[in-house]
Amino acid sequence: MSLFSVLSIGASGMAAQRTRAEILVENLANAETTRTPEGGPYRRKDVVFESAPAESPFASLLDNQMQAPEGVSVSQVITDTSAPERRYLPGHPDADANGYVAFPRINPAEDMVDLMDAARSYEANIASIGAVKDMIERSLDLLR
Amino acid sequence: MLDPVAGKLEHYMDLLSIRQKLVASNIANADTPGYQTRDIDFQSEYLTEIGETPQVREVSGLPVKNDGNNVSLDRESRLLAENDLRFQVASSLLHSQIHQVQLAIDVDKAS
Repeated sequence: MSLFSVLSIGASGMAAQRTRAEILVENLANAETTRTPEGGPYRRKDVVFESAPAESPFASLLDNQMQAPEGVSVSQVITDTSAPERRYLPGHPDADANGYVAFPRINPAEDMVDLMDAARSYEANIASIGAVKDMIERSLDLLR
Repeated sequence: MLDPVAGKLEHYMDLLSIRQKLVASNIANADTPGYQTRDIDFQSEYLTEIGETPQVREVSGLPVKNDGNNVSLDRESRLLAENDLRFQVASSLLHSQIHQVQLAIDVDKAS
């Protein structure tokens, strides 16, 4: 049983939340983007988390016996497939024959709230790393 | 090694670190759909034989969110702080035990 492997669980949480924040920032930045390499307007993306064994090079036998406590990872990035929002802008270069332009269906408020949630979860993982670090330091103090 | 109390303290610290690991895992999975909060029954694990693998169980009675996840960050932060403090107490006690042995060794040098 090693406290050091707990650090990698916290780190996996931080990495996953950071990826989520990156995707959310991308959504916010592209809220008005009408052109993408794939063609058409930008589509909102979101992450799906799944629990996964935390990467630890020193995973012990005991960990396997007690069904290793799990870290988290991003299993996939999903793209919103709902129909884009159509706005009547006849002068726009991307307007169709009827004068409508397809805009991404992104609600900035929704993404901002998710972004705050990601930031708080990131902090929670930092707190758990801090607490475990404290415990490791205490154990090391026994040697003094 | 030192005396039975030191052995108990070691067991106690072992269990605390296992529990802290589960807490960290719960926090990391706070946004994972379908994830269930995990914990050990501290009291009964403490009374079992030293060296036995603790039983990890899923915690019931927590409010379940829409995605089937029932991690409560409030519960986990509380446990995180509590485990940390308990560990500090145990390590201070163990430290004083070791210090006593050290003193006994040093008595010979002093005379």
